[in-house]
Amino acid sequence: MIVDLEIRCPKLGHQVKFDYCEKEQISLPCKRIIKCWQIYFPVEIYLKKKLTEEEWNRCFNEKPKEKILTLLELIDAAKRRKEKKGQSKDKL
Amino acid sequence: MTDVKVFLDESELPRQWYNILADLPTPMKPPLHPATGEPINPEDLAPVFPMNLIEQEVASDRWIDIPEPVLEKYALWRPTPLYRAKNFEKFLDAPVKIYYKNEGVSPPGSHKPNTAVAQAYYNKVFGIKRISTETGAGQWGSALSMACQMFGLQCRVFMVRVSYDQKPYRRLMMATWGAECVPSPSNITEVGKKILEEHPDSPGSLGIAISEAIEDAVGDENARYSLGSVLNHVLLHQTIIGLEAQKQLEKIGEYPDVVMGCAGGGSNFAGICLPFVRDKIHGKEVSIVAAEPTSCPTMTRGPYAYDFGDLAKTTPLLPMHTLGHDFVPPPIHAGGLRYHGMAPIISHLLKEKLIEARGFNQIDTFTAGVNWARTEGFIPAPETNHVIAAVVQEAQKAKEEGKEKVILFNWSGHGIIDLAAYDAFLSGKLTQYELPEEEIERALKSLEGLPKP
Repeated sequence: MIVDLEIRCPKLGHQVKFDYCEKEQISLPCKRIIKCWQIYFPVEIYLKKKLTEEEWNRCFNEKPKEKILTLLELIDAAKRRKEKKGQSKDKL
Repeated sequence: MTDVKVFLDESELPRQWYNILADLPTPMKPPLHPATGEPINPEDLAPVFPMNLIEQEVASDRWIDIPEPVLEKYALWRPTPLYRAKNFEKFLDAPVKIYYKNEGVSPPGSHKPNTAVAQAYYNKVFGIKRISTETGAGQWGSALSMACQMFGLQCRVFMVRVSYDQKPYRRLMMATWGAECVPSPSNITEVGKKILEEHPDSPGSLGIAISEAIEDAVGDENARYSLGSVLNHVLLHQTIIGLEAQKQLEKIGEYPDVVMGCAGGGSNFAGICLPFVRDKIHGKEVSIVAAEPTSCPTMTRGPYAYDFGDLAKTTPLLPMHTLGHDFVPPPIHAGGLRYHGMAPIISHLLKEKLIEARGFNQIDTFTAGVNWARTEGFIPAPETNHVIAAVVQEAQKAKEEGKEKVILFNWSGHGIIDLAAYDAFLSGKLTQYELPEEEIERALKSLEGLPKP
């Protein structure tokens, strides 16, 4: 039943199913998953069983970063990827 | 017949944006660079934003002039009308006057172009040729596409794959305005390629789309990135909504008891409320309320303490809903439930108790939205339904207290392109669904042996 249910995702702005929320961060669920789904079933308990303690903490207990700091990290990561790509081209 | 709308002439369009940072009783701490521990240097952001916008991001001037070319574009739909929702007032049968700013009259149908146009302009004068961004359902992507077209800029929008497939109309709006809309993850960027290699069927996420949009801009001297919410300069541009509303209310001799907006990333809420927060700081009596989405407050199966305070980190732990008879799920650090996209200015105002926040679930919000459409005619965007639900709650409170109230809120956009969401609601797919008690008992039994808090 849960797999068929759709709720509105406040981040994307349209309906999504639970399996999207469960993999929103690829290997981790969306950080909002409990807030959005808890009313429908004990998602917190379900995830505690499914995730390792490290994954749980990474998903739910890490202090959120300010957007501007996230942007700085993404800029650095993008620069590194571009440098790596440039090096690969040089080798060729 | 009495007037329903209050208009401003184009000559009355505010000539400056309002910067709340100049009036905060407690200044916000500048974010520190994680690598150096020092406040962020403008140069750190230069790969993704033009310097004129970075200057606005850190500006402390109270008023910032709106450039003439931006005003000229604003004039296509601004000043937006201030409406009085007389039919909805009648429907609610409460002692309230309800005024709303109709931001749905902009070409893309939302408040988003207030900053999209400004950002496109500042990029243009800085010599930028191309802007990249990310979008979910496409409200921001479509607004930026239009704005880029207005200033002769190229625009590339990374749209989350699942949204790209589900929301074709905004994608088509972007194409009509000349933008390139790419499903994310894509093969354009290294990060997108890597994800597709490992997960060819990835539905994407906003996190992936923003990584792609940033990578697309970084290293290209002619390109920059644009964000539609959260940042200070975005909220600054949106203040034109509240500034217009103040002029319009003054014309009819009204002042609101309550100012309300829906809060996702915080930009439309900030737009209506920041000029009124200024009044509040200077002694005016006005309540300012953010309506945010959550499923939690209506939980009925056990004691539950919902606390939006997590946003301002005022509560270290968030008590969770109790399930069953003797089972209490372990508490989660409040920060873990915090919506990562909220604007720091809004979080700060919440912490300072200058504003308050209330959560509304999707059923209450759609019910309010449908009642609105059936009385006032306009179909609201689903996000806008949150603030309408908050208005309903405030009206009921006024009725219970027997107090007359003037409510002002931001009708942030129309829902004509979101009718699938209304279909889901009207056909019962969004019905409040809860597992039967026995199923919960069975589920919990199967988890026996897990550590208890």
